[in-house]
Amino acid sequence: MQHFPILSIVTLFLGAFLTVIFGSKNETVRKFIALVASSISLILVLMLIKPVMIKNNVIQYWLGNWRPIHDWAIGIGLEVDALGLFFGIIAVLTIFLSIIFSFKYTKKDSETDKYYVLFLMLSGAVLGLVFTGDLFNMFVMIEIMTFAAVGLTAFRNYQEGALEAAFKYLVLGSIGSSMVLAGTITIYSQVHTLNMAQISALLFNNLTPSALFAFALLLAGFSLKAFVVPFHPAAPDAYMSAPSSVSMAFSGMVNKAGVYAIIRLVYVLFHAMDFKSVQILLIIIGTITMFIGVTMALAQNDFKRLLAFHSISQIGYVITAVGVSTALGLTAGLYHALNHTLFKGLLFLTAGAIFYATGTTDLNKLGGLARKMPQTAAIFLIGAFSISGLPPFNGFVSKWLVYQATFQANLAPVTIIALLVSVMTLASFIKVAQSIFFGQMPKEFENVKEVPLSMRIPMWIMAILCVITGVLPNIVTKYLVSPAVTAALNIGKYIDLMMGNGYSEKILGKPIEIPAVDFTLAGYWDPIAWLVLFALLLIAVTIVAVAGGFNAVSLPTEVDDPKYDVFFSGEASEHSHVKGNDLFWGLKHDLRHYFGFMHDAHSGIINDYALWAIFTTTIFIVYIFLLVP
Amino acid sequence: MILVNYIACIILIVLGFYVILTKKNILKIIIGMGLIDYGINLLIISIGFNPGGTAPIFTFTELKPESFFVDPVPQALTLTSIVIGACVTAMALSLVIKIKEKYGTLDADKVRRLNG
Amino acid sequence: MVVLKYLFNVLVFPGLLFSALVGLLLSGLDRKVVARMQKRIGPPIIQPIYDFFKLLGKETIVPRAASRRTFLYAPVIGLLALVTVTLFIPIYKYTAISTVADIIVILYLLTIPAVALIMGGAASGSPYAGVGISREMVAIISYELPLVIVLLTIGKHVGMALNKGVITFSLSQIVSYQAEFGPMITNWRLIPAALALLLIIPIKVGSLPFDIAEAEIEICEGPLVEYSGAPLAIFKLNHAIKMFIMTSLFVTLFLSGKGTGILILDIVLQVLLSAVIVVISISTLKAITARLKVEQVLKFFWTYPTALALISLILVWIGR
Repeated sequence: MQHFPILSIVTLFLGAFLTVIFGSKNETVRKFIALVASSISLILVLMLIKPVMIKNNVIQYWLGNWRPIHDWAIGIGLEVDALGLFFGIIAVLTIFLSIIFSFKYTKKDSETDKYYVLFLMLSGAVLGLVFTGDLFNMFVMIEIMTFAAVGLTAFRNYQEGALEAAFKYLVLGSIGSSMVLAGTITIYSQVHTLNMAQISALLFNNLTPSALFAFALLLAGFSLKAFVVPFHPAAPDAYMSAPSSVSMAFSGMVNKAGVYAIIRLVYVLFHAMDFKSVQILLIIIGTITMFIGVTMALAQNDFKRLLAFHSISQIGYVITAVGVSTALGLTAGLYHALNHTLFKGLLFLTAGAIFYATGTTDLNKLGGLARKMPQTAAIFLIGAFSISGLPPFNGFVSKWLVYQATFQANLAPVTIIALLVSVMTLASFIKVAQSIFFGQMPKEFENVKEVPLSMRIPMWIMAILCVITGVLPNIVTKYLVSPAVTAALNIGKYIDLMMGNGYSEKILGKPIEIPAVDFTLAGYWDPIAWLVLFALLLIAVTIVAVAGGFNAVSLPTEVDDPKYDVFFSGEASEHSHVKGNDLFWGLKHDLRHYFGFMHDAHSGIINDYALWAIFTTTIFIVYIFLLVP
Repeated sequence: MILVNYIACIILIVLGFYVILTKKNILKIIIGMGLIDYGINLLIISIGFNPGGTAPIFTFTELKPESFFVDPVPQALTLTSIVIGACVTAMALSLVIKIKEKYGTLDADKVRRLNG
Repeated sequence: MVVLKYLFNVLVFPGLLFSALVGLLLSGLDRKVVARMQKRIGPPIIQPIYDFFKLLGKETIVPRAASRRTFLYAPVIGLLALVTVTLFIPIYKYTAISTVADIIVILYLLTIPAVALIMGGAASGSPYAGVGISREMVAIISYELPLVIVLLTIGKHVGMALNKGVITFSLSQIVSYQAEFGPMITNWRLIPAALALLLIIPIKVGSLPFDIAEAEIEICEGPLVEYSGAPLAIFKLNHAIKMFIMTSLFVTLFLSGKGTGILILDIVLQVLLSAVIVVISISTLKAITARLKVEQVLKFFWTYPTALALISLILVWIGR
């Protein structure tokens, strides 16, 4: 049991190295190694659920068996508590599904052995980041993650813009990592240890100016990894250019690693969530991220770039909920992080399926694909309704918890902005559905077929998980989210493992009790609802049968009768599909000053993006020095 | 606690940021990234300094409670960081080679086909 | 026994039959009043019922470019959501289902018929429908903001009196507040919110001057252009039920109270008051205005009704 965390990390790195040695010639060998490595990791992490989440232990493992001497840590330790395991489950699920998807998806690429090597290293780095208990180890894992991500972004270097996206990601990621390193070193000069539990114990009520400076730098560095708004411009370029199975991993794992690092930093390391000013800072950043993400997404013309901006917007929801810092807020944030991985991963895989079948993701060129790819269309609709927050899918539950948390904390403007963002998310997905799946099909897509089975299986698994987490929120909260929330708010157990039992009780006082989350305010799920639903479904089936929907014979459409053509006011029918740029012109016209300003601001020049990052870091440093006591 | 070292690394880091923010040639931006890395390395080493201490290399018999040496942990961190800096520079330079092949220019104002 | 009671609620009262009947009568009343205001005679009040049965007898044509299943299921899903909403709206003291979060359920269930219209339009594959669904989406974005603020205002006001300061979302609590203190509209703080809701009702129901989605002259009926026969009948039924639900919601939120105590008289009183609201907010505006442009709709809803609702919210917040 003690060895499961380190084994799950090492298996992935070992898989990467074995692929280099054995897999460079033979296709089957490298797919086999990738599949086995990710499955072993998945099984090991899932077996950790029972001891860590249900029985509430914290697993500790010292690398190289360098145990602490006289209560001072001298080696690198892995500490797996419920918060880390929550993000670990998200990560390992994404890895497994992405590898299955990429078997057929990379069929037309050359040199796929390097793809699998880089992908396994990315996965190992993310798992290492969430399981580690040492601050410098976190920095090293962030660096491995950045390299692998840059390599994978530039993988299809014949594609338009892949190389420049990788370069921008490298420069901005390097700035972020440098800030993390500077913050780590400043902390080290204060407490002379790198183990996070020890730092947390030593910094309690002991915030000197250099600790505050380190806090600002670390917060800025981790926010850059999570792609919060002023640090975000590299993200849409990178998500757009990477292959879709990798984009799914980016938005599912790499973003969440940044969010995990922020939670660990603010809640555990610095105990900073008791300060009102830090809460306000996180809520303001989160709200700005939500709003700018979704408004930029409405104006995009490329499917994957639109999805990338929506990723940024949903991470804004998570950061806002985390910033509210009540138990309900943290539950909402973590549940939304889990849901975001599921539905955003699903949408990116759909984009990959469309790219595989047609060769383009431009919204102005596609159309009417629902008749040729019906399963992909159904899966896309499930993902789109999940992200917009329609019941009974999972987005509704977590978004409703976010609204409740912010309204109960007396932050009515944030609730209103969150609702507006949700409606605009629905708008942009209606735009995508009309542009790609419905409408009239251009002539060149006559021979498009449904994607192969091994690409459809991960999509169906994710769609089913979306529905399950939406229909059974009580079970998901009780077993997965509440232990993680308890672990974030009561860090006593985390510290005790290092400093000896009873230490945290003397310093921190009694642990905080987490009340059970009540879902009845969401109007959800009592037995009456099930009865009503059943009766209504009876009516629905009857009506559709009466309308002749089930009988294909009574509604013939293959007959060559002009009454089955599309109505064109009596003129000759030509291809005129309303898509892409043509939709929402009224909205775009009304807000044209705002959209023009935003379009010019995202200029694509790397110096501008670096300017935003450094300017925001400066604001963080000044704010934290002035306001946090 | 060497004041000269700290001032030098602050100057290096600020110069590195200045180069990334204002220079338009991509190779100069990579040099700026390198400057930031080296500035931080200097900061790491300077933090571990104890005035009057010797190098932290002892055999078992020489190590006594009154031995006074500089902190060895930052030196290990610096080695890791130097290696990471070298790898970042290598990857960035390989990207620059491909960008020059594909775009034909190294000006940051022209390498901007993805925007908006 | 419970199963029978719930089946009765869903199918007869206040579910499918009752709301369909009252909704169609209200929409007939609306047409008659508009015609009289424009110095015409107009169709009889039960004309929409005749229209519904006529459409059921026509042939259903599914165009070649359409995605069949989405095309046929979209109106039915809208109908399901609307019938579910009718179960939650209290008629004075009587509710079919009362939970602690009625308003939230109603709010999210009311977006489903609009999305069903959009999906139906998208599935039909016509360019007129494409333009229509983009306008419908702009309409949804416009009215969602003031509607949420109005509901939050009322919930907070009632919650401060009855729920120890925590916002309440239960419609039965709002009715019992009005039974104690008189109808909500007599409270001067909430009059701007009532005005905002009166302006929101036409756009939610899809009538002039805000019916940009189904603009007959500009885009040939918009999302419904390819529909015929039974699916079109169900969409028209949805439209009628939506009219009944929105006006009944207004009556419950602002004009409710003790009622008379006898169920039949309560129902008649609610329907009469709904008819009054239909005449005031839907028919009057329809008779005297022309259709707004798409950009004007967004600008209008994000300034005037939002400002009115925010004034109410601020007055309620500082009023304690």
